Amino acid sequence: MRLEVREVSKRYAIPVLDAVSLEAKKGEFVCLLGPNGCGKTTLLRILGGIEPPTAGEVRFDGRPLSYGRAGELHVGMVFQEDRLLPWKTLAENVALVLKARGLDQAERRATAERYLRFVGLTGFEEYYPNRVSGGMRQRAAIARALAIEPDLLLMDEPFGSLDAQNRRIMQAEVKRIWAETGKTIVFVTHAIEEAVSIGTTLVMMSARPARVRELIRNDGARDRHALMDHLNRAIMEEVLRQRGPGVADP
Amino acid sequence: MTSQAASATWTTRLRLPSLLVLAVVLVVWEAVSRRYGAYVMPSPRSVAEGLVAVVLAGDVWTHAGASLYRIAIGFGSALVVAVLLGLASFLWRPARVAVADVVTVLNATSVFVWIVVSLIWFGLTNMAPIFTTFMITLPVVAANVIEGVGSVDRKLLEMGQVYRLSGWETFRSIVIPSTIPHLVAGMKVGFGLALKVSVVAEIFGVTSGIGYIMNYSREILATQMVFVWALVMIAIMLVADKLVFDRMTRRLERWR
Repeated sequence: MRLEVREVSKRYAIPVLDAVSLEAKKGEFVCLLGPNGCGKTTLLRILGGIEPPTAGEVRFDGRPLSYGRAGELHVGMVFQEDRLLPWKTLAENVALVLKARGLDQAERRATAERYLRFVGLTGFEEYYPNRVSGGMRQRAAIARALAIEPDLLLMDEPFGSLDAQNRRIMQAEVKRIWAETGKTIVFVTHAIEEAVSIGTTLVMMSARPARVRELIRNDGARDRHALMDHLNRAIMEEVLRQRGPGVADP
Repeated sequence: MTSQAASATWTTRLRLPSLLVLAVVLVVWEAVSRRYGAYVMPSPRSVAEGLVAVVLAGDVWTHAGASLYRIAIGFGSALVVAVLLGLASFLWRPARVAVADVVTVLNATSVFVWIVVSLIWFGLTNMAPIFTTFMITLPVVAANVIEGVGSVDRKLLEMGQVYRLSGWETFRSIVIPSTIPHLVAGMKVGFGLALKVSVVAEIFGVTSGIGYIMNYSREILATQMVFVWALVMIAIMLVADKLVFDRMTRRLERWR
Protein backbone atom coordinates (compact mmCIF):
# COMPACT_ATOMS: atom_id res chain seq x y z
CA MET A 1 0.00 0.00 0.00
CA ARG A 2 1.19 3.50 -0.79
CA LEU A 3 1.36 5.78 2.20
CA GLU A 4 1.15 9.55 1.91
CA VAL A 5 1.49 11.91 4.82
CA ARG A 6 0.58 15.42 3.77
CA GLU A 7 1.45 18.45 5.88
CA VAL A 8 0.38 16.70 9.06
CA SER A 9 0.48 18.91 12.16
CA LYS A 10 -0.49 18.07 15.70
CA ARG A 11 -0.64 20.26 18.73
CA TYR A 12 -1.58 19.46 22.28
CA ALA A 13 -0.67 22.21 24.75
CA ILE A 14 2.41 22.77 22.56
CA PRO A 15 2.95 22.06 18.86
CA VAL A 16 4.39 18.56 18.42
CA LEU A 17 4.29 17.96 14.68
CA ASP A 18 4.77 20.81 12.22
CA ALA A 19 3.64 20.08 8.68
CA VAL A 20 5.22 16.65 8.35
CA SER A 21 5.10 15.23 4.84
CA LEU A 22 6.46 11.95 3.59
CA GLU A 23 5.60 9.24 1.16
CA ALA A 24 6.29 5.54 1.00
CA LYS A 25 5.61 3.14 -1.86
CA LYS A 26 4.22 -0.31 -1.33
CA GLY A 27 6.70 -2.66 0.30
CA GLU A 28 8.98 0.02 1.64
CA PHE A 29 10.59 -0.19 5.04
CA VAL A 30 10.48 3.32 6.46
CA CYS A 31 12.53 4.09 9.56
CA LEU A 32 11.59 7.19 11.57
CA LEU A 33 14.59 8.62 13.36
CA GLY A 34 14.84 11.59 15.66
CA PRO A 35 15.60 12.79 19.17
CA ASN A 36 13.61 11.35 22.07
CA GLY A 37 10.29 13.06 22.58
CA CYS A 38 10.31 14.78 19.20
CA GLY A 39 6.94 13.41 18.09
CA LYS A 40 7.76 10.11 16.35
CA THR A 41 5.25 8.24 18.46
CA THR A 42 2.64 10.94 17.88
CA LEU A 43 3.05 10.53 14.13
CA LEU A 44 2.65 6.77 14.49
CA ARG A 45 -0.49 7.23 16.59
CA ILE A 46 -1.93 9.40 13.83
CA LEU A 47 -1.08 6.74 11.23
CA GLY A 48 -2.62 4.08 13.48
CA GLY A 49 -5.93 5.92 13.71
CA ILE A 50 -5.67 6.47 17.47
CA GLU A 51 -5.96 10.22 17.11
CA PRO A 52 -6.55 12.59 14.20
CA PRO A 53 -4.05 15.25 13.20
CA THR A 54 -4.80 18.90 13.99
CA ALA A 55 -4.15 19.73 10.34
CA GLY A 56 -3.16 17.87 7.22
CA GLU A 57 -4.12 14.38 6.17
CA VAL A 58 -2.97 10.81 5.79
CA ARG A 59 -3.80 8.82 2.67
CA PHE A 60 -3.59 5.10 2.11
CA ASP A 61 -3.52 4.33 -1.64
CA GLY A 62 -4.96 7.77 -2.21
CA ARG A 63 -7.91 7.33 0.21
CA PRO A 64 -7.92 9.53 3.31
CA LEU A 65 -7.60 7.67 6.61
CA SER A 66 -10.72 7.88 8.76
CA TYR A 67 -10.65 8.05 12.55
CA GLY A 68 -12.94 6.41 15.08
CA ARG A 69 -14.28 2.90 15.38
CA ALA A 70 -16.15 2.95 12.11
CA GLY A 71 -12.91 3.25 10.16
CA GLU A 72 -11.63 0.37 8.09
CA LEU A 73 -9.00 -1.97 9.41
CA HIS A 74 -5.81 -1.35 7.45
CA VAL A 75 -3.12 -1.01 10.02
CA GLY A 76 -1.39 -3.44 12.33
CA MET A 77 0.52 -1.85 15.16
CA VAL A 78 3.25 -3.11 17.45
CA PHE A 79 3.70 -0.84 20.44
CA GLN A 80 6.68 -0.25 22.71
CA GLU A 81 4.97 -2.58 25.16
CA ASP A 82 3.32 -5.79 24.00
CA ARG A 83 -0.20 -4.60 24.98
CA LEU A 84 -1.50 -8.14 25.10
CA LEU A 85 -4.54 -8.70 27.30
CA PRO A 86 -3.07 -10.55 30.30
CA TRP A 87 -6.31 -12.48 30.89
CA LYS A 88 -6.31 -13.98 27.42
CA THR A 89 -3.99 -16.66 26.08
CA LEU A 90 -1.65 -15.80 23.21
CA ALA A 91 -4.01 -17.47 20.73
CA GLU A 92 -7.04 -15.65 22.19
CA ASN A 93 -5.18 -12.35 21.99
CA VAL A 94 -4.52 -12.82 18.29
CA ALA A 95 -8.01 -14.19 17.62
CA LEU A 96 -9.65 -11.20 19.35
CA VAL A 97 -8.56 -8.65 16.75
CA LEU A 98 -9.82 -10.87 13.93
CA LYS A 99 -13.42 -10.22 14.97
CA ALA A 100 -13.31 -6.89 13.19
CA ARG A 101 -12.47 -8.80 10.00
CA GLY A 102 -15.71 -10.77 10.27
CA LEU A 103 -14.17 -14.23 10.56
CA ASP A 104 -16.08 -16.94 12.41
CA GLN A 105 -14.65 -18.56 15.50
CA ALA A 106 -12.98 -21.53 13.78
CA GLU A 107 -11.38 -19.26 11.17
CA ARG A 108 -10.14 -16.88 13.86
CA ARG A 109 -8.60 -19.74 15.75
CA ALA A 110 -6.92 -21.20 12.66
CA THR A 111 -5.61 -17.79 11.59
CA ALA A 112 -4.26 -17.09 15.08
CA GLU A 113 -2.42 -20.41 15.11
CA ARG A 114 -1.02 -19.81 11.65
CA TYR A 115 0.44 -16.43 12.58
CA LEU A 116 1.75 -17.62 15.94
CA ARG A 117 3.55 -20.37 14.01
CA PHE A 118 4.89 -17.73 11.60
CA VAL A 119 6.57 -15.86 14.47
CA GLY A 120 7.86 -19.09 16.04
CA LEU A 121 5.39 -19.50 18.90
CA THR A 122 3.97 -22.92 18.03
CA GLY A 123 3.27 -24.78 21.26
CA PHE A 124 2.67 -21.60 23.24
CA GLU A 125 -0.85 -20.86 21.95
CA GLU A 126 -2.50 -21.69 25.29
CA TYR A 127 0.00 -19.75 27.43
CA TYR A 128 -1.03 -16.58 29.21
CA PRO A 129 1.28 -13.61 28.46
CA ASN A 130 2.64 -13.52 32.02
CA ARG A 131 3.93 -17.05 31.57
CA VAL A 132 6.24 -16.31 28.64
CA SER A 133 9.29 -14.07 28.18
CA GLY A 134 9.22 -10.45 27.03
CA GLY A 135 10.62 -11.43 23.64
CA MET A 136 7.88 -14.01 23.17
CA ARG A 137 5.22 -11.51 24.16
CA GLN A 138 6.53 -9.09 21.57
CA ARG A 139 6.46 -11.90 18.96
CA ALA A 140 2.83 -12.52 19.86
CA ALA A 141 2.14 -8.80 19.44
CA ILE A 142 3.72 -9.00 15.97
CA ALA A 143 1.59 -12.07 15.16
CA ARG A 144 -1.49 -10.09 16.22
CA ALA A 145 -0.49 -7.18 13.97
CA LEU A 146 0.14 -9.48 10.99
CA ALA A 147 -2.96 -11.62 11.53
CA ILE A 148 -5.33 -8.87 10.40
CA GLU A 149 -3.35 -8.87 7.13
CA PRO A 150 -2.74 -5.15 7.31
CA ASP A 151 -1.70 -3.00 4.40
CA LEU A 152 0.61 -1.14 6.72
CA LEU A 153 2.57 -2.36 9.72
CA LEU A 154 3.54 0.25 12.31
CA MET A 155 6.22 -0.53 14.86
CA ASP A 156 7.01 1.88 17.68
CA GLU A 157 10.41 0.95 19.08
CA PRO A 158 9.05 -2.54 19.55
CA PHE A 159 12.28 -3.97 20.92
CA GLY A 160 13.21 -1.13 23.26
CA SER A 161 12.51 -3.20 26.35
CA LEU A 162 14.40 -6.29 25.19
CA ASP A 163 18.00 -7.15 26.03
CA ALA A 164 20.67 -6.71 23.37
CA GLN A 165 20.67 -10.32 22.24
CA ASN A 166 16.89 -10.66 21.94
CA ARG A 167 16.87 -7.34 20.18
CA ARG A 168 19.23 -8.61 17.45
CA ILE A 169 17.19 -11.78 17.07
CA MET A 170 13.97 -9.81 16.72
CA GLN A 171 15.52 -7.39 14.21
CA ALA A 172 16.46 -10.33 12.02
CA GLU A 173 12.95 -11.68 12.51
CA VAL A 174 11.33 -8.43 11.37
CA LYS A 175 13.61 -8.35 8.35
CA ARG A 176 12.50 -11.87 7.46
CA ILE A 177 8.81 -11.00 7.96
CA TRP A 178 9.20 -7.93 5.77
CA ALA A 179 10.96 -9.95 3.06
CA GLU A 180 8.35 -12.73 3.16
CA THR A 181 5.21 -10.60 3.34
CA GLY A 182 6.23 -7.52 1.35
CA LYS A 183 4.31 -5.30 3.80
CA THR A 184 4.85 -1.57 3.95
CA ILE A 185 6.42 -1.00 7.34
CA VAL A 186 6.94 2.19 9.35
CA PHE A 187 9.41 1.56 12.12
CA VAL A 188 10.28 4.05 14.84
CA THR A 189 13.73 3.71 16.33
CA HIS A 190 16.49 5.83 17.69
CA ALA A 191 19.17 3.25 16.96
CA ILE A 192 20.86 4.55 13.83
CA GLU A 193 22.68 1.33 13.06
CA GLU A 194 19.37 -0.54 13.22
CA ALA A 195 17.77 1.95 10.85
CA VAL A 196 20.59 1.89 8.32
CA SER A 197 20.78 -1.90 8.25
CA ILE A 198 17.05 -2.46 7.91
CA GLY A 199 15.32 0.57 6.36
CA THR A 200 14.85 1.38 2.69
CA THR A 201 13.75 4.92 3.49
CA LEU A 202 15.20 6.81 6.44
CA VAL A 203 13.26 9.80 7.73
CA MET A 204 15.25 12.04 10.03
CA MET A 205 12.91 14.17 12.13
CA SER A 206 13.90 17.51 13.65
CA ALA A 207 13.59 18.66 17.24
CA ARG A 208 10.07 19.41 18.48
CA PRO A 209 7.87 20.64 16.84
CA ALA A 210 9.00 17.92 14.48
CA ARG A 211 9.47 18.47 10.78
CA VAL A 212 11.06 16.15 8.31
CA ARG A 213 14.68 17.27 8.37
CA GLU A 214 15.87 14.85 5.77
CA LEU A 215 14.49 11.94 3.80
CA ILE A 216 17.12 9.47 2.61
CA ARG A 217 16.62 6.64 0.14
CA ASN A 218 18.79 3.89 1.59
CA ASP A 219 19.38 2.02 -1.67
CA GLY A 220 22.95 1.01 -0.97
CA ALA A 221 24.37 3.70 -3.21
CA ARG A 222 25.85 5.54 -0.25
CA ASP A 223 28.62 4.20 1.88
CA ARG A 224 27.10 2.75 5.07
CA HIS A 225 29.65 4.23 7.43
CA ALA A 226 29.47 7.65 5.85
CA LEU A 227 25.68 7.48 6.08
CA MET A 228 25.78 6.49 9.75
CA ASP A 229 28.23 9.30 10.53
CA HIS A 230 25.98 11.72 8.74
CA LEU A 231 22.87 10.57 10.64
CA ASN A 232 24.70 10.59 13.96
CA ARG A 233 25.74 14.19 13.40
CA ALA A 234 22.21 15.16 12.40
CA ILE A 235 20.57 13.53 15.41
CA MET A 236 23.07 15.16 17.80
CA GLU A 237 22.29 18.57 16.33
CA GLU A 238 18.57 17.98 16.82
CA VAL A 239 19.01 16.65 20.36
CA LEU A 240 20.92 19.82 21.26
CA ARG A 241 18.35 22.01 19.57
CA GLN A 242 15.54 20.30 21.46
CA ARG A 243 17.26 21.03 24.75
CA GLY A 244 17.06 24.67 23.81
CA PRO A 245 19.56 27.56 23.84
CA GLY A 246 21.46 28.38 26.96
CA VAL A 247 21.71 24.85 28.22
CA ALA A 248 25.35 24.11 28.77
CA ASP A 249 26.84 20.74 27.99
CA PRO A 250 27.23 18.71 31.16
CA MET B 1 1.46 -17.50 46.77
CA THR B 2 3.95 -20.15 45.70
CA SER B 3 6.86 -18.64 47.60
CA GLN B 4 4.70 -18.46 50.70
CA ALA B 5 3.71 -22.09 50.35
CA ALA B 6 7.33 -23.07 49.79
CA SER B 7 8.57 -21.24 52.86
CA ALA B 8 5.75 -22.53 55.08
CA THR B 9 7.11 -24.84 57.72
CA TRP B 10 5.01 -27.44 59.51
CA THR B 11 4.46 -25.06 62.43
CA THR B 12 2.78 -22.44 60.28
CA ARG B 13 0.92 -25.03 58.24
CA LEU B 14 -0.71 -26.41 61.37
CA ARG B 15 -1.25 -22.83 62.57
CA LEU B 16 0.45 -23.65 65.83
CA PRO B 17 0.93 -19.97 66.77
CA SER B 18 -2.81 -19.34 66.38
CA LEU B 19 -3.67 -22.50 68.31
CA LEU B 20 -1.45 -21.26 71.12
CA VAL B 21 -3.33 -17.96 71.22
CA LEU B 22 -6.61 -19.89 71.25
CA ALA B 23 -5.41 -21.97 74.23
CA VAL B 24 -4.47 -18.81 76.14
CA VAL B 25 -7.84 -17.22 75.35
CA LEU B 26 -9.70 -20.33 76.59
CA VAL B 27 -7.71 -20.43 79.84
CA VAL B 28 -8.28 -16.71 80.54
CA TRP B 29 -11.95 -17.07 79.52
CA GLU B 30 -12.46 -19.96 81.96
CA ALA B 31 -10.73 -18.03 84.75
CA VAL B 32 -12.86 -14.90 84.17
CA SER B 33 -15.99 -17.03 84.05
CA ARG B 34 -15.19 -18.62 87.43
CA ARG B 35 -14.35 -15.28 89.01
CA TYR B 36 -17.37 -13.24 87.75
CA GLY B 37 -20.05 -15.83 87.15
CA ALA B 38 -21.95 -17.25 84.17
CA TYR B 39 -24.21 -14.23 83.64
CA VAL B 40 -21.27 -11.94 82.90
CA MET B 41 -19.05 -14.54 81.29
CA PRO B 42 -20.45 -17.97 80.54
CA SER B 43 -17.88 -20.78 80.60
CA PRO B 44 -16.37 -22.07 77.34
CA ARG B 45 -18.02 -25.39 78.09
CA SER B 46 -21.55 -23.96 78.33
CA VAL B 47 -21.02 -22.05 75.08
CA ALA B 48 -19.86 -25.23 73.36
CA GLU B 49 -22.89 -27.08 74.66
CA GLY B 50 -25.17 -24.27 73.51
CA LEU B 51 -23.62 -24.41 70.07
CA VAL B 52 -24.21 -28.14 69.78
CA ALA B 53 -27.79 -27.63 70.98
CA VAL B 54 -28.70 -24.95 68.39
CA VAL B 55 -27.15 -27.04 65.63
CA LEU B 56 -29.01 -30.18 66.70
CA ALA B 57 -32.31 -28.34 67.18
CA GLY B 58 -31.94 -26.69 63.78
CA ASP B 59 -32.28 -23.15 65.20
CA VAL B 60 -28.99 -22.27 63.58
CA TRP B 61 -30.47 -22.77 60.10
CA THR B 62 -33.64 -20.83 60.95
CA HIS B 63 -31.85 -17.75 62.21
CA ALA B 64 -28.72 -17.84 60.05
CA GLY B 65 -31.03 -18.52 57.11
CA ALA B 66 -33.22 -15.51 57.94
CA SER B 67 -30.16 -13.25 58.23
CA LEU B 68 -28.59 -14.60 55.03
CA TYR B 69 -31.88 -14.15 53.18
CA ARG B 70 -31.97 -10.45 54.13
CA ILE B 71 -28.30 -10.08 53.22
CA ALA B 72 -28.90 -11.79 49.89
CA ILE B 73 -31.63 -9.29 48.99
CA GLY B 74 -30.00 -6.14 50.46
CA PHE B 75 -26.42 -6.87 49.45
CA GLY B 76 -27.47 -8.49 46.16
CA SER B 77 -29.34 -5.37 45.05
CA ALA B 78 -26.41 -3.19 46.18
CA LEU B 79 -24.17 -5.30 43.94
CA VAL B 80 -26.44 -4.90 40.92
CA VAL B 81 -26.79 -1.14 41.43
CA ALA B 82 -23.02 -0.74 41.94
CA VAL B 83 -22.26 -2.53 38.67
CA LEU B 84 -24.83 -0.39 36.82
CA LEU B 85 -23.23 2.75 38.30
CA GLY B 86 -19.85 1.44 37.14
CA LEU B 87 -21.18 0.90 33.63
CA ALA B 88 -22.69 4.40 33.59
CA SER B 89 -19.44 5.96 34.73
CA PHE B 90 -17.52 4.09 32.01
CA LEU B 91 -19.88 5.20 29.28
CA TRP B 92 -20.28 8.76 30.46
CA ARG B 93 -17.47 10.58 32.21
CA PRO B 94 -19.55 13.18 34.13
CA ALA B 95 -21.41 10.27 35.79
CA ARG B 96 -18.13 9.17 37.34
CA VAL B 97 -17.79 12.44 39.26
CA ALA B 98 -21.40 12.34 40.47
CA VAL B 99 -21.18 8.70 41.52
CA ALA B 100 -17.90 9.32 43.37
CA ASP B 101 -19.46 12.20 45.31
CA VAL B 102 -22.59 10.24 46.19
CA VAL B 103 -20.39 7.36 47.37
CA THR B 104 -18.43 9.73 49.61
CA VAL B 105 -21.61 11.08 51.21
CA LEU B 106 -23.11 7.61 51.71
CA ASN B 107 -19.86 6.40 53.23
CA ALA B 108 -20.02 9.22 55.75
CA THR B 109 -23.51 8.21 56.87
CA SER B 110 -23.85 6.19 60.07
CA VAL B 111 -25.49 2.77 60.15
CA PHE B 112 -27.79 4.06 62.85
CA VAL B 113 -29.24 6.72 60.54
CA TRP B 114 -30.41 4.02 58.13
CA ILE B 115 -31.72 1.80 60.91
CA VAL B 116 -33.85 4.59 62.36
CA VAL B 117 -35.00 5.89 58.99
CA SER B 118 -35.92 2.42 57.75
CA LEU B 119 -37.92 1.79 60.93
CA ILE B 120 -39.87 4.97 60.24
CA TRP B 121 -40.36 4.12 56.56
CA PHE B 122 -40.92 0.38 56.68
CA GLY B 123 -41.95 -0.24 60.29
CA LEU B 124 -41.28 -3.54 61.97
CA THR B 125 -40.78 -5.57 58.78
CA ASN B 126 -38.16 -7.51 56.86
CA MET B 127 -37.62 -4.45 54.68
CA ALA B 128 -35.97 -2.50 57.51
CA PRO B 129 -32.80 -4.65 57.80
CA ILE B 130 -32.76 -5.24 54.03
CA PHE B 131 -32.83 -1.51 53.29
CA THR B 132 -30.20 -0.76 55.92
CA THR B 133 -27.90 -3.43 54.46
CA PHE B 134 -28.43 -2.05 50.98
CA MET B 135 -27.62 1.53 51.94
CA ILE B 136 -24.49 0.58 53.88
CA THR B 137 -22.97 -1.86 51.38
CA LEU B 138 -23.79 0.11 48.22
CA PRO B 139 -21.08 2.78 48.64
CA VAL B 140 -18.43 0.19 49.52
CA VAL B 141 -19.04 -1.96 46.47
CA ALA B 142 -19.66 1.03 44.19
CA ALA B 143 -16.38 2.68 45.26
CA ASN B 144 -14.52 -0.48 44.26
CA VAL B 145 -16.31 -0.84 40.94
CA ILE B 146 -15.70 2.82 40.06
CA GLU B 147 -12.06 2.45 40.97
CA GLY B 148 -11.88 -0.65 38.77
CA VAL B 149 -13.50 1.11 35.83
CA GLY B 150 -11.14 4.06 36.30
CA SER B 151 -8.08 1.85 36.46
CA VAL B 152 -8.58 0.25 33.05
CA ASP B 153 -5.25 0.51 31.26
CA ARG B 154 -5.54 3.28 28.66
CA LYS B 155 -2.88 1.56 26.61
CA LEU B 156 -5.05 -1.51 26.23
CA LEU B 157 -8.00 0.67 25.22
CA GLU B 158 -5.79 2.26 22.55
CA MET B 159 -4.85 -1.18 21.31
CA GLY B 160 -8.56 -1.87 20.95
CA GLN B 161 -8.94 1.35 19.01
CA VAL B 162 -6.12 0.51 16.58
CA TYR B 163 -7.65 -2.90 15.93
CA ARG B 164 -11.14 -1.42 15.58
CA LEU B 165 -12.75 -3.46 18.34
CA SER B 166 -16.44 -2.64 18.72
CA GLY B 167 -17.65 -0.79 21.82
CA TRP B 168 -19.23 -3.97 23.16
CA GLU B 169 -16.11 -6.04 22.47
CA THR B 170 -13.95 -3.42 24.20
CA PHE B 171 -16.24 -3.49 27.23
CA ARG B 172 -16.38 -7.29 27.34
CA SER B 173 -12.73 -8.09 26.66
CA ILE B 174 -10.92 -5.14 28.25
CA VAL B 175 -13.08 -3.21 30.74
CA ILE B 176 -14.85 -6.08 32.54
CA PRO B 177 -11.75 -8.24 33.09
CA SER B 178 -9.86 -5.19 34.41
CA THR B 179 -12.69 -4.40 36.83
CA ILE B 180 -13.32 -7.90 38.16
CA PRO B 181 -10.51 -8.00 40.75
CA HIS B 182 -11.84 -4.72 42.19
CA LEU B 183 -15.40 -6.03 42.13
CA VAL B 184 -14.44 -9.22 43.97
CA ALA B 185 -12.48 -7.22 46.57
CA GLY B 186 -15.53 -4.96 47.00
CA MET B 187 -17.82 -7.98 47.32
CA LYS B 188 -15.61 -9.47 50.00
CA VAL B 189 -15.54 -6.32 52.11
CA GLY B 190 -19.20 -5.62 51.31
CA PHE B 191 -20.38 -9.06 52.40
CA GLY B 192 -18.53 -8.79 55.71
CA LEU B 193 -20.12 -5.41 56.26
CA ALA B 194 -23.55 -6.71 55.23
CA LEU B 195 -23.37 -9.48 57.83
CA LYS B 196 -22.35 -7.08 60.59
CA VAL B 197 -24.88 -4.40 59.67
CA SER B 198 -27.90 -6.58 59.01
CA VAL B 199 -27.46 -8.22 62.41
CA VAL B 200 -27.57 -4.84 64.13
CA ALA B 201 -30.66 -3.87 62.14
CA GLU B 202 -32.34 -7.14 63.19
CA ILE B 203 -32.35 -6.05 66.83
CA PHE B 204 -35.34 -3.89 65.96
CA GLY B 205 -38.66 -5.13 64.84
CA VAL B 206 -38.11 -8.55 63.34
CA THR B 207 -38.59 -11.94 65.03
CA SER B 208 -35.93 -14.01 63.33
CA GLY B 209 -32.28 -13.68 62.41
CA ILE B 210 -29.02 -13.76 64.31
CA GLY B 211 -29.38 -10.18 65.55
CA TYR B 212 -32.88 -10.86 66.86
CA ILE B 213 -31.92 -14.08 68.64
CA MET B 214 -28.81 -12.54 70.20
CA ASN B 215 -30.81 -9.67 71.64
CA TYR B 216 -33.54 -12.08 72.78
CA SER B 217 -30.91 -14.25 74.51
CA ARG B 218 -29.67 -11.19 76.35
CA GLU B 219 -33.19 -10.33 77.48
CA ILE B 220 -33.80 -13.81 78.91
CA LEU B 221 -30.38 -13.66 80.60
CA ALA B 222 -28.99 -16.55 78.51
CA THR B 223 -25.58 -14.96 78.04
CA GLN B 224 -24.01 -18.17 76.77
CA MET B 225 -26.39 -18.02 73.77
CA VAL B 226 -25.15 -14.53 72.91
CA PHE B 227 -21.69 -16.06 72.61
CA VAL B 228 -23.04 -19.02 70.63
CA TRP B 229 -24.59 -16.76 68.01
CA ALA B 230 -21.47 -14.63 67.83
CA LEU B 231 -19.56 -17.81 66.98
CA VAL B 232 -22.14 -18.69 64.32
CA MET B 233 -21.62 -15.27 62.73
CA ILE B 234 -17.87 -15.69 62.73
CA ALA B 235 -18.25 -19.14 61.17
CA ILE B 236 -20.44 -17.78 58.36
CA MET B 237 -17.86 -15.07 57.65
CA LEU B 238 -14.97 -17.53 57.53
CA VAL B 239 -16.83 -19.95 55.28
CA ALA B 240 -17.77 -17.15 52.89
CA ASP B 241 -14.18 -15.86 52.81
CA LYS B 242 -12.39 -19.15 52.33
CA LEU B 243 -14.89 -21.13 50.34
CA VAL B 244 -16.56 -18.48 48.24
CA PHE B 245 -14.43 -15.38 47.78
CA ASP B 246 -10.95 -16.90 47.83
CA ARG B 247 -12.04 -19.57 45.39
CA MET B 248 -13.69 -16.98 43.18
CA THR B 249 -10.52 -14.88 43.19
CA ARG B 250 -8.32 -17.82 42.27
CA ARG B 251 -10.63 -18.86 39.48
CA LEU B 252 -10.89 -15.37 37.99
CA GLU B 253 -7.16 -14.73 38.23
CA ARG B 254 -5.70 -17.95 36.97
CA TRP B 255 -3.88 -15.94 34.29
CA ARG B 256 -1.71 -14.10 36.81
